[in-house]
Amino acid sequence: MSLRRWLVVAALFVVAFVASRYGHAAGDATSRNLFTYPYNVDDLPNGLRLVTVPTDYPNLVALYIVVRAGSRDEVEPGKSGYAHLFEHLMFRGSENFTPEQRDAIMKRAGADTNASTNQDRTTYYVVFSKEDLDEVFKVEADRFQHLKYGEPAYKTESLAVLGEYNKNSAAPTQKLDEVLYETAFKEHTYAHTTMGYLKDVQDMPNQYGYSLEFYNRFYRPEYTTVLVVGDVTHDGALELTKKYFGAWARGSYEPKIPAEQPQMESRTGHVEWPSPTLPWLAVAFKGPAYSDETKDKPALDLLREIAFGENSDLYRRLVLQQQKLDDLGVDFGNHPDPELFTAYARIKDVKDVDDVRAQVLQTFARFTKENVDQAKLDATRSRMRYSFALRMNSSPAIAAALAPYILLKRTPDTINKVFELYQQVTPEDIRATAAKYFTENNRTVVTLATQAGTK
Amino acid sequence: MRERRVAFALVLAALLQTPAFTQTASVLQHGTSPLITFRILFMTGSAFDPTGKEGLASLTAAMLGEGGSRSKAYQQIVDEMYPMATSLNWQVDKEMTVFTGTTHVENLDRFYGLINDMLLDPGFRQEDFTRVRDEAVNFLKVSLRESNDEELGKEYLYNAIYVGHPYGHHNRGTVSSLQKLTVADVRAFYREHYTRANLLLGLAGNYPSGFAERVAADLATLPAGAPDRKRFEPPPLPAGSRMAILTRDTRSTAISLGFPIDVNRASPDWPALAVAVSYLGEHRSSNGYLYGWLREARGLNYGDYAYLEYFPRGMFQFTPDPNLARQQQIFQIWIRPVEVNTGVFTLRAALYGYDKFVRDGLSREAFEATRQFLTKYSNILTQTQSARLGYALDSRYYGIGDYNSYLRGALAKLTLDDVNRAIKQHLARDRMQIVIVTKDAKPFQDAVAKNTPSPIVYNSPKPKEIMDEDAIIEAYRITVKPQDVAVVPVERVFQ
Repeated sequence: MSLRRWLVVAALFVVAFVASRYGHAAGDATSRNLFTYPYNVDDLPNGLRLVTVPTDYPNLVALYIVVRAGSRDEVEPGKSGYAHLFEHLMFRGSENFTPEQRDAIMKRAGADTNASTNQDRTTYYVVFSKEDLDEVFKVEADRFQHLKYGEPAYKTESLAVLGEYNKNSAAPTQKLDEVLYETAFKEHTYAHTTMGYLKDVQDMPNQYGYSLEFYNRFYRPEYTTVLVVGDVTHDGALELTKKYFGAWARGSYEPKIPAEQPQMESRTGHVEWPSPTLPWLAVAFKGPAYSDETKDKPALDLLREIAFGENSDLYRRLVLQQQKLDDLGVDFGNHPDPELFTAYARIKDVKDVDDVRAQVLQTFARFTKENVDQAKLDATRSRMRYSFALRMNSSPAIAAALAPYILLKRTPDTINKVFELYQQVTPEDIRATAAKYFTENNRTVVTLATQAGTK
Repeated sequence: MRERRVAFALVLAALLQTPAFTQTASVLQHGTSPLITFRILFMTGSAFDPTGKEGLASLTAAMLGEGGSRSKAYQQIVDEMYPMATSLNWQVDKEMTVFTGTTHVENLDRFYGLINDMLLDPGFRQEDFTRVRDEAVNFLKVSLRESNDEELGKEYLYNAIYVGHPYGHHNRGTVSSLQKLTVADVRAFYREHYTRANLLLGLAGNYPSGFAERVAADLATLPAGAPDRKRFEPPPLPAGSRMAILTRDTRSTAISLGFPIDVNRASPDWPALAVAVSYLGEHRSSNGYLYGWLREARGLNYGDYAYLEYFPRGMFQFTPDPNLARQQQIFQIWIRPVEVNTGVFTLRAALYGYDKFVRDGLSREAFEATRQFLTKYSNILTQTQSARLGYALDSRYYGIGDYNSYLRGALAKLTLDDVNRAIKQHLARDRMQIVIVTKDAKPFQDAVAKNTPSPIVYNSPKPKEIMDEDAIIEAYRITVKPQDVAVVPVERVFQ
């Protein structure tokens, strides 16, 4: 999706939901809806959105705050990794609560609190007992509106981010992904990982001023959705949201995220790993962005399972029969812009790398020509429904499942819309979509091996 | 010693309780959820691996959970599970082996039919064996040794502490022992240990009437067997602190340290130590003393935590998996990777901080806050049906009743003196086992042998109290004798 089109879609959503308030009843027995919990969506005049999902799991409340700021928004050279850095800085104190005071409140509440960042969003959560609802809202709202950290605390925290880079760096897959994304993307910010480039992470201690600018841009109500799931009422959650987030001022910044130009040639990359490891292979194609209106993404979501899942022909052959791999996986997330559909394989013996690459490529090619089996497609739809239903096993789990969709469309209803599209996808849709995206010119292949295993 | 005997008697008493309607011991948590959870627990594990066949308990569980039954090849089972989005997962620890699975009630009969077949009529095919054994070898050789310095250090710490003890090898075995195992070994282990005497069935959710009885009756077809109720002694660890430096080409330095404790969840002092250890370093919480001290004040790394029970895979999980109950536990500190040039300073800082914590204990304010935290936090630990069921099975093992009620009751009665006395009694200062994963052993060897100072330079000004403390830390004595430092190339670990 081009930048312009993305902005139009975003604007339509703003128009449609300004000052709106609507509720949804629980699905009845005949409903095909997958997300069956009743929920409410409320928009504050400042652009903040509240989604409330009361559940019958007792005592606990999960408060998720989703900010539409991820590594995708890091458009300036030398400034990768700041969305993630902010995930850290948000724990360094605000005008009305020092870090120690915040910690003490969370400790008294017996709360589980943390945050995570990916390409598109930063998600903050607190899970706690319902009697602490007011206090948790108050302390959370303060840091989103009145974060305060001095330069020394900033410098110390940027070292903790380097520590995080370090603890991840023992895994070869971190480096594999770094090379894969910078090879596949030349214009778009998906070229860098969420951790950022090591040189940018090492330079962070010198960028205190820039960090303040980043906060000013993105920590704004129009970028933020508050999600409350658990032992709460809609009225109670709305009242607290108005009370604590109502005065938050809207911002004006919109990042200019460069659109990736169509790829015109197949690309390759290689990582020589310094210590012993098994070789890795990543075969990636740029895929469609998330949509709950068109079938491209749902069709490839289904194919991902059919072509590379644990009962795919390829898995059966390479993992179970020939036993050349001990790991075969696919990554194909939901993103606002086109991202990668990637098959990853860990190969047991370096001599099999070429053969495995050929078999993976043949699998991609096969589904551009052949229709998938109708029974397999139906079984896959069933699997995706049950897989989602099985995740809904606690209030925090429901909130965690919703948060990625909240980033994309700001309403749980998108889940029902996209699962409805899964029902409509035909074998011919899948073949045609595969043929559209799995082309040689749209492909990036990256391998990783030790020096001895590198040809 | 007295405490452990009490604990062991409780374990026996708990295991001998059996519902009247069947010969199968069970914990049933019927509820309203349409998701049905199974936890089928056998009181056996890697502590029962025969000598020279380390990894056999784990491989046997893998053959059941990831292998075919007699009537169905593994691929057929995977195909049948596929539309239900389910699987049968397995976990093996020293004394427990558990099979877990959750299905939507709409698929209950189909799912149960499959797992019943997998557990009670396993196929033990050679091709499944080769695959799961390769997977185990690669786990040790590649995933653990070469891709995850933190888990490597943590697991090696257990190996170092339990030398010459039935707990003394990794649950997955060793690279060389796995290569000697055969399908016949797996069959023999299954026959001997997958018995009614070792079984405890856990079931939760809105399963239909009569279903639990049906499962219990099916499982009662296992041989009666003799229970694996061995008493495990504390490890025969010589006096003094020790250091093992695992060397590999890595960009940072990982540190784990700890020692055995004579306390488990059944011990009277467990709640007091739980408060102490939560205060020192609650897992993945920014509230712990070590975290505040090493990460927040000094920016040395990503986090620093402390433990009273085995907690594998801690870098991927915020809450521990249940069904890792053990008679013997260790106290452990996990220092997440630091820059190579701050490794020695960080180790000294951790030791200094720990010594200070043991000396000073908790303040009244810290005690009250931590007690309040743990009282509520048990709701988070048991937030899912599967976790509640798992904790209930563990409570049967330890003989403590419902976990949340037990903990709330014990915490309500606890005093600050109880906590500070338990710290002094159980937390040693003279037999710390230290494991370092790094590329250069020399700075650590020099710090031990010559007490070479390790000053630190920060990128921002620090308050005077931190600078004053650092002046002590940079030459803080690591009380390990030079001959008690072992440098171990990583390829020898778990070999």
